[in-house]
Formats: sequence, structure tokens, C-alpha cells
Amino acid sequence: MSSILRLIVQRISLALIVLIGVSMLIFAIARLIPGDPARIALGPNATVEQVEILRETLHLNDPIYLQYGYFVRDISQGDLGVSLYTNRPVTTDIAQFLPATLELVIVAGIMMICIGLPLGMISARYKGQFIDNLLRVVSLLGVSAPSFVWAVILMLLFAYFLPIFPVAGRIEDTYVIKAVTGFLLIDTLIDGNIDAFFNAFWHIFLPAFALSLSGIGQAARLTRANMIETYNKPYIEMMRAYGVSPFRIASRYAFKPSLIPSLTIIGLDFAAMLGNAFLVEAVFAWPGLSRYGVAVILRKDLNAIVGTVLIISLTFVLVNIIVDLLIAFLNPRIRYSQRPK
Amino acid sequence: MKLKIKILLANPLSFMGLLLISLVFGSAIFADFITPFPLHKGAVVDFSNFNQAPNLTNIMGTDLVGRDLFTRIIYAFRISIMLGVVVLIISVPIGVFMGLLAGYSGGKLDFVLMRITDVFLSIPPLVLAMAVMGLLEPTILNGMLAVTAMWWPWYTRLIYNLTRSEKEEGYVVAAEVVGASRWHIMFREILPNCTHAIITKMTLDFGFVILIVSSLSFLGLGVQAPTPDLGSMVAEGARYLPDSWWLTVFPGLAILIIVFGFNLVGDALRDMMDTDS
Amino acid sequence: MSDSLLDIQNLSLSFQGLTETVDVLDNINLSISRGERVALVGESGSGKSVIARIILGLLQSQKGAIVKGSVRFRGIELEAATGNQIESLRGREISMIFQDPTSSMNPVYKIGTIFHEILNRGTHNISKKLALIKASKLLEEVSITEFKRVLESYPFQLSGGMNQRVMIALALANKPALLIADEPGTALDVTVQAQTLKLMHNLVKKNNTAVLFISHNLGVVHQFADRVYVIYKGRIVESGSTSSIFENTKHPYTKALMNAVPKITSKSFFDASDDSSLFKQPAFHHKDREIGQ
Repeated sequence: MSSILRLIVQRISLALIVLIGVSMLIFAIARLIPGDPARIALGPNATVEQVEILRETLHLNDPIYLQYGYFVRDISQGDLGVSLYTNRPVTTDIAQFLPATLELVIVAGIMMICIGLPLGMISARYKGQFIDNLLRVVSLLGVSAPSFVWAVILMLLFAYFLPIFPVAGRIEDTYVIKAVTGFLLIDTLIDGNIDAFFNAFWHIFLPAFALSLSGIGQAARLTRANMIETYNKPYIEMMRAYGVSPFRIASRYAFKPSLIPSLTIIGLDFAAMLGNAFLVEAVFAWPGLSRYGVAVILRKDLNAIVGTVLIISLTFVLVNIIVDLLIAFLNPRIRYSQRPK
Repeated sequence: MKLKIKILLANPLSFMGLLLISLVFGSAIFADFITPFPLHKGAVVDFSNFNQAPNLTNIMGTDLVGRDLFTRIIYAFRISIMLGVVVLIISVPIGVFMGLLAGYSGGKLDFVLMRITDVFLSIPPLVLAMAVMGLLEPTILNGMLAVTAMWWPWYTRLIYNLTRSEKEEGYVVAAEVVGASRWHIMFREILPNCTHAIITKMTLDFGFVILIVSSLSFLGLGVQAPTPDLGSMVAEGARYLPDSWWLTVFPGLAILIIVFGFNLVGDALRDMMDTDS
Repeated sequence: MSDSLLDIQNLSLSFQGLTETVDVLDNINLSISRGERVALVGESGSGKSVIARIILGLLQSQKGAIVKGSVRFRGIELEAATGNQIESLRGREISMIFQDPTSSMNPVYKIGTIFHEILNRGTHNISKKLALIKASKLLEEVSITEFKRVLESYPFQLSGGMNQRVMIALALANKPALLIADEPGTALDVTVQAQTLKLMHNLVKKNNTAVLFISHNLGVVHQFADRVYVIYKGRIVESGSTSSIFENTKHPYTKALMNAVPKITSKSFFDASDDSSLFKQPAFHHKDREIGQ
């Protein structure tokens, strides 16, 4: 067990270094913009004195390393500053909008795995035949368009021309759900309101699917390539020689070794969906971090921008750590390489 | 080299990819000659003809100020290609150089360079570009800068891993024994063995750059009006769904076609690489 | 012959490429009786490994493979058999040992799990507990005393010699009538190889298992086999009992093979002739009585 513990500690310390680097990077970029943030915040009608006062409050006249020092101090106290857009603490804003985005990304991630992996396995099993070629083209198409194009196409097809799914929002206004986790799918169940649960699910389906298409395509292609490579390995031939059924070989003995090389990329894709969520949210009017993020970026709202990017990077890093641990768990070679034989 | 081109042409999928790419490049270069309304690429208005559904004069319809959509899409190809070329020409050499240096030197230099790379890789690509764009003025130049800044780390990673494995190979050790300088080994021994991987990645990336740029424009952070860009066209059109559907669907399909074409070719290149090794 | 287990007649194999056809096997005749130990000797590229895969039906699915001729097992024509029939033979009546033991076992599953899967072929739906008990006994038979540790380990954690013995135990788990050994021990050190082969010899004798022993190592063949087939470029060039082949060598290729093996006592190099026209001489089949069991 200690080998896994050591792995966790290693990953977390690396992640910390990286996060510090990220914070420095974002901080530097934010402070390097042309123009005076205080002036921009107060608008052209503010007096010079008012701007000066704000500058002092924001420590803008101090040398940059001192500014960074204040920044770090504030963060360690959980203070990401106040958003000049909403006039609320950035942490409050993020707490409100982040769950919506996370829910979207997680559902999309589940779709990516549950649809993409089996498609890849089928493709590999029937390599060279019609179904394989068809699936390959479909996967490639999925990867080839940005999420917002799929979002628009899906919305047109299944929300407008064939009104199966709702067009916008997370849930119908008529439902009032107590926000426990912020995840509607969970909160509706906690509330015991099955009707609301299905309503929320119906709302999240289309945007999550649009978001996941690129990931599905990628996962399918990757799984296919890895399984084909695994099928050529001697240990698979051995199992065939012993008469183990093709189905069992495909679903068990060829699958697990192929999964391991795919996991890193799948983890990256999952995290990339965090970035692409912005696009889908814009199309489906999903009240997530995107509308907030784009708005604060357009308004050069320093604190909000830094806070948002930091939180997203944190999530990204966490996902990567989880993926790394999952790989270590699945790949006995990594687990045992720390232990003396 | 010739053999590789032959193989690419023989495979129906990659042939289609090459065809698509040539179409796109060709129409972009000869845009002035093949578009019916070349002036519509700029700030032209023709309110007598606005918001038309696809018809015989305007095969893809017109936009809200009366510009021919087909023309604007072809000119948008031009912008997209230009952006792709510039971004890759700058970011690839930087990324490759850093990867070679980190991979071959090892030790402290390796650690520092790769941690810097990790920092850039820890921010989801779109988010970093958005942040940079949002903080600077949204011009094409800044857009290219933003995307370039987030692109080089992927090449650094790739070349770093390759260099580390090639480092142990016989030809490198032989060169070291003979007393070759580290620069010689990096650029004249290891780098040529990475070429195929780099070219494959660049082909696949071309499409990906176009995706990112169109995403930025979609959010209003990239190319600005009146310059035509596929992403911003989709964004503008999205507001008028579902009635003026052509405003979003055609630019969207155009993005799909370009990227699909590059992916087809890139895939074929990657398959060739696998059989090489 | 009612004792006949495997009877290959007139087997030929070619691969149809895009532009040309490559002939790999030509008119192979080979037979094995119950409990017999038969060696198939040849160098790389001679086609010997391919024969093993054809018997098990593993090759026929490969693209462009054209197989002609007859392969009979216990009188049943395998080439005409259904997929299910062939599958039921694998791992039960016929089993196989591979060249590199460590890479032949799934790296992400424990040895115990692999045993469970193989034993399941013999006793359908066997419980994991029972399978592990049976596996322990099998491991004891191949002289592995710390069977508990081995069953809990992954292949990469064990040495090559250990893995080879595990493979032998797996192969004999369901008491097959025929064991195909594809260059066993080639990947191992010489001393370990010797140990493993001795073990294998004792076990197959005990269980009266017939063996098709594929090798390029003449010394080992001499120790192990009752009868020998020599294969060169897809053709059988000489066949007979071990003593006939070794003491009364007739075909030029077989002679070249024998002489090419460096003797520990000699100090000179063998002048291997490049003249392959000599090797194209027709085959010679020693007419000695079958040494059956």
C-alpha cells in the first residue's frame, strides 16, 4: 500500500509546483495588460482621486512581487478578490456557476467512456470490415468539428426541427430545487422529486452529448488502435490457442491491457472538455462558468479572470492526478516497481 | 518520400483528405477569382438582398447585411489557413527546441524546462487562449500570439519523450564517443529521427488550430468584424436559429470539412509511422 | 492406425499478397501416435512454427492464407470442422507451449487468474477456489514449491525459468492428448533450458502425452524425441527415428545441420556451403519401425 501512497504524495507535490507556476503565469498576464484596471473598473467619469484610491486599495502601485505576495496571502485565506462585474466575491460567483459546468462535463465524460470505448472495441474486433470503416469515419467526424458546431447542429435537429429535447436551461422554471450540491441530477434525487430528475436529465442530455462527441470520437479511435495492437501480442495468441472464447478475450483479456495506454489521453480529453464546455454553454444558454467567464474576460475583470482560470486549472490538475492514480491501480507494473522483489 | 506520397494517394481515405485540403487551399488562394462577390469579404452592405435563403445567385444565402455567404466563407478559409500557418511556424520550432534541450540535457535543465511546460499544459488550451485574448486587445495579431503561446508545449512534450528514448540508441552513443558537440547530436542526429512524428502532428494540428481559432472567434475573442471568420459567422448566425439556419450551418460545415480533411491525411501519416517502427 | 493421434497429409500453405503469391509449405506429411514424442527440426523461416498454428486453426483466419491438404486429429478432419469443434479441442485435447514464456502470459492478470481461465476449459464453471487448489497441485508437479506466492504474482515478477514451468503446468492442466511445444526454452539460459526440458520429458512420459516438439536445437532433439522430421524451406527433407536420423544421416541438408553445430571439443569452424542446390535433393524417409509407446 505504501507504494500507492508514495505515488500520491509524488503527484500532489508536482501538482503543487505546477499550480504555483500557473498562478504566477496568470498573475503576470493579468498585470501586464495595457491600461489601468482601476480606471477601467470605475469608468471614464470617475475622478483622478477616486481612481488613485482604488489603485491603493488594489495595491496597484506596489512593486510586482509585493502584489504577488498580497495575492498569495489572499488566496490562502480563500479570498479571490471581488469581481468588478458582479460586485460580489469571486468565490461566491464561482460557487454558483461552477457546479453547472462540472455537471455538464461529468455527464459528457460518462458518455465519452460508455459510448466511445465499446465503439472502439467493436471496431477493433471487426477490423477491416464495413462496420469498422463506418465507425472510423464517424469517429473522425466527431473529432473534426468544434463542440459548438455539433451543439448547433444537434440543437437544430433535435430541439427545433424535431422538438424532442428542450432548447435551453438546466431545468424548467416551474421546479424549485434546494441546492445541496449544486448538481441538479443529485439534488433532485435528494429532494425525492423524480419528475424533476427526469426533467433535469432531459435538459442536460443534448448539451452533454454535443460536448462529448469529440471525446467519443477520440476514445473510440484510441481504443481501436490499442486493442488492435494488443490483439497482436503473444499472450492473446496463447489464449486463443487455449480456446478461450473470442468474446471473453475481447471483453476481458484484450481490454484491460489496451485500456492503460488510452487512459492518459482520455484523461486529457476529459480535462479538455472543461475548456470546451464554454462553447456548448454559450449555444444552449447553460448557466455555467462560461457566461460568467466570457463576460468577465470582455470586461477585463482581473480578479474574476484570475480566479476562474485558477479554479479551472485546479480542476484540470486534479483530474490528471486521478487519472494517474487510476493508471497505477490498473497497471501492476507501476504498482510493484516501488516494492523490492 | 515519393513512396510515402504514393501510399497516401492509394488509400481512399487519405486521398479524400488530400482532395479536401487542396480544395480548401486552392479556393483560398484563388479566392479573388472564384467568388461571385469578392467585395463582400469586407464591409459591404446590400440591404435589398439581406437574409436570403440559399438560391441561385447566392448559393449559400446572404447574411444580415446582404453579403454573399459563399464568398465570405471562401475568404474565411484564407484567414484560417494563414492563422494556422503562422501559429505553427512560430510555435513548432520553439517547442521542438525546448523538447530537444530538456530531453537531451537531463538534470536541472530538464526539470525546470519541463515544469514550465507542465504549467502551460495544465490550463485547458481554450481557457488559456481566452484568458490571454481577453486581457489583450482582440485583434488577429493578438489572437495568433495567444494560440502560439499555448501551442508550443505540446511539441515540447512530444519531442521530449522522443529524445529521451532516442538518447539511449546506438547512433547517439556512437556520436558521443566520437566527441560530437551536444548541439550536433541534438540537431543532426536526434532531430532527423523525429521528423515524421513532427510532420504528422503538424498536419493534425493544422485542423486543431483552426478549431481553436474559430472557437475563440465564436466567443467574440478572436477575429473581429468585418473580417470573415468561420467561428464568428457561426456565432452571429446562432442568434437567428432556426429560421436563418444557413447562417450557422454552412460556416459550421466548412469548419468540419477543413478539419476533417487534415485529420484524414494526418491519420494516414500516423499509420505509416506505426508500420515504420 | 487406431493409435494415430495426428495425421497431416499433403499440407500446403501459401499467402496471397497484392501482387504475388508466396509459398510457405509444400506437401507436408507428418503423423504422431499416442504418447509419441516427435520433433520437427528446421531453421528460421523453414515453416515449422506455421505448422503448429495450422493444427490449432490459428492461422486460417489470417488475410490471404490459403491452406490445402488434410489435418486429421483422432480421425476427425480439422480443415472441414466447424469453428466450435476446433475451439473445443484447444486447451483440452491439444495444447501449446510458446517460445517466450513471460510475454506469452497476460501481464495484467495474476498467474492464479490465468490458471482459473485455463482450468475452466477443462471443467466448465469451476470455482476460483477449486481452480487454485488444482493449480497448486499442478505447480508442485513442475517442481515449484512456493506455489502460493507464484499464484499471487504477475508474470513480470517471476523469472523466465519459473514462467516456463508455469507454462508447462498450464499446458498439461487439462491432460491433453497432444502437446505442441514451439521452441521451448529458447528464450532461456542454457542451464535453465536443460532443467526445464528434463522436467517436461518426465511429465509427458508420466501422462503418456504425445508431443510435437518444434526446435532448431539438434542436441535437445536427440535427448527428447522418438522420431524426427527435418524441414527445409517448407518441405520435409528427411524423416525417421531419432537413431536413424542421427547415426545414418542421408539428406545433404540434415548433414549440414549436424555438422554446423559447433562441437565443444573441436577447434575448427565448419565450412557451411552456400550451395543450396544440394539441399533441393528429394526427401529421404527412413523405413524403421515406429517406436510407439
